[in-house]
Amino acid sequence: MFRKIGHAFKEAFWGLTHHLAMVTSTANAITITLVLVSVLTVLIANVNQITYDVEDDIQLYVKIEKDVDDKDIATMQSKISRIAGVENVEYSDADAELDRFIAAYGEAGEIYEIYRDDNPLSRVFIVKIAGGYSLAEVSQQISTVDGIDSVDFGGATVEDFVKLLNGTRKVGLIFAGALTLLAVFLIYNTIKITINSRKEEIGIMRLVGATNSYIRAPLVLEGVFIGILGAIIPIVLTIFGYQYIYTSMDGQLVSGILKLLPVFPFTVYVSCFVLAMGIIVGLVGSFLSATRYLRWKR
Amino acid sequence: MIHLENVSKVYKNGTNALSNVTLDINDGEFVYFIGETGSGKSTLIKLLDGEEIPTKGKVIVNGTNVGRLRFSKVPLYRRKIGVVFQDYQLLKNKTVFDNIAFALEVINKPRKEVNNRVREVLQIIDLSNEFKNYPTQLSGGQQQRVVIGRAISNNPGLLICDEPTGNLDPRHSKEIIELLEKINASGTTVIVVTHDEFLVNSYKRRTILLDNGRIVSDNPLGGYCHV
Repeated sequence: MFRKIGHAFKEAFWGLTHHLAMVTSTANAITITLVLVSVLTVLIANVNQITYDVEDDIQLYVKIEKDVDDKDIATMQSKISRIAGVENVEYSDADAELDRFIAAYGEAGEIYEIYRDDNPLSRVFIVKIAGGYSLAEVSQQISTVDGIDSVDFGGATVEDFVKLLNGTRKVGLIFAGALTLLAVFLIYNTIKITINSRKEEIGIMRLVGATNSYIRAPLVLEGVFIGILGAIIPIVLTIFGYQYIYTSMDGQLVSGILKLLPVFPFTVYVSCFVLAMGIIVGLVGSFLSATRYLRWKR
Repeated sequence: MIHLENVSKVYKNGTNALSNVTLDINDGEFVYFIGETGSGKSTLIKLLDGEEIPTKGKVIVNGTNVGRLRFSKVPLYRRKIGVVFQDYQLLKNKTVFDNIAFALEVINKPRKEVNNRVREVLQIIDLSNEFKNYPTQLSGGQQQRVVIGRAISNNPGLLICDEPTGNLDPRHSKEIIELLEKINASGTTVIVVTHDEFLVNSYKRRTILLDNGRIVSDNPLGGYCHV
């Protein structure tokens, strides 16, 4: 067993050193690919986080008509909570709304204390929407409940923003997938060249009864090494690059609402992911290449 | 030991390489296969070493139905046979010793066993003094002896040689046949595919003549014959 592993490492190292130019150029191409994969991963993860934050913050302000009796509030609350997509319904009376209004303006808000005795604000339900549901559709359904005056949400802008984030995430994933396939193809071709240059040796191995796994192991290992070599620079760039961006943007995008993921442990996760991608890409590319060659004849 | 029963082989391109060949070769026999190019000799070897499967019929070697052998079992089967080709197929970056050892290393024989067996083989092929040489430092005859040494390193019961003297002058060809006779004398079944009329007539052994994929003559007394 150890001899087999030792042989595989020895032969893989032989392959790496004897096609140094090819190995270097493939590792460089993998590096570029993995840098892009890393950038996309950082982007997708942050978009994910922002989407989550935005969706988490989305609340509907459902104003109750003035003439609705207090005893009907519970019934209305129960009706709203039964609508598909409604996660939570919270009731807030007019006084609580005024408190919130005053608090929102800080010290300057004290001026509105004069409305305490003649409060113009409505009683409201604050409705939280579950992820994946259309704000407009849920709003429309809530507005059909008797006693509802109006339903207020961020409107199309919020929904469009969430859609944009989701779209960005999808495009990012497609790009990352395409780049990964490209990297697999690059390794596939490099190992094909290794196989061609060792055709004679492989032929003799087959002739004397070496198993396919014995022949394949060093080739696959070579692919994995190239993948790891290609992942080194992207990992360094991920750690230092993200730290730089995070620091220079003060950890937020545009405004404080859209927060970037903290450097630690995020960069560690992305680095592990990039390394795993390098290994997987090397493994798959070289395995396919070696298997294809070894399969074509008995 | 070897039993071929109504074996036919038709390649994908439609070439009919062998037709209804039935044949028995006993343990320890030395057999020549002769015939013109395209007569089916090489196909017969490919069927025996498991590289090809018959279109029809059975190829049985030491109780193994080679045509039915699963892909994963072919390497294990090949460890029981030795194959020698005309174009030496030696690894130029390895010494004589390492070329022979290579065949044992790739089937995971322990290092000590490899070293001992390679020394024995070097004696059999009479190249004990050249063990450190590289293939390019050897004559054609010596290179072919190394290939034979590699083929017998795992003590195969069957040694198949495809034109082993094809690239050699008469003196070296004679040395190779004498080496094969020596190996045969130790109990290994030897099959030699050749065009060399002089050798077949000089070292008379059972001789099978193939023509157009059929056996047209099987002479136990030996000697070259023509269609």
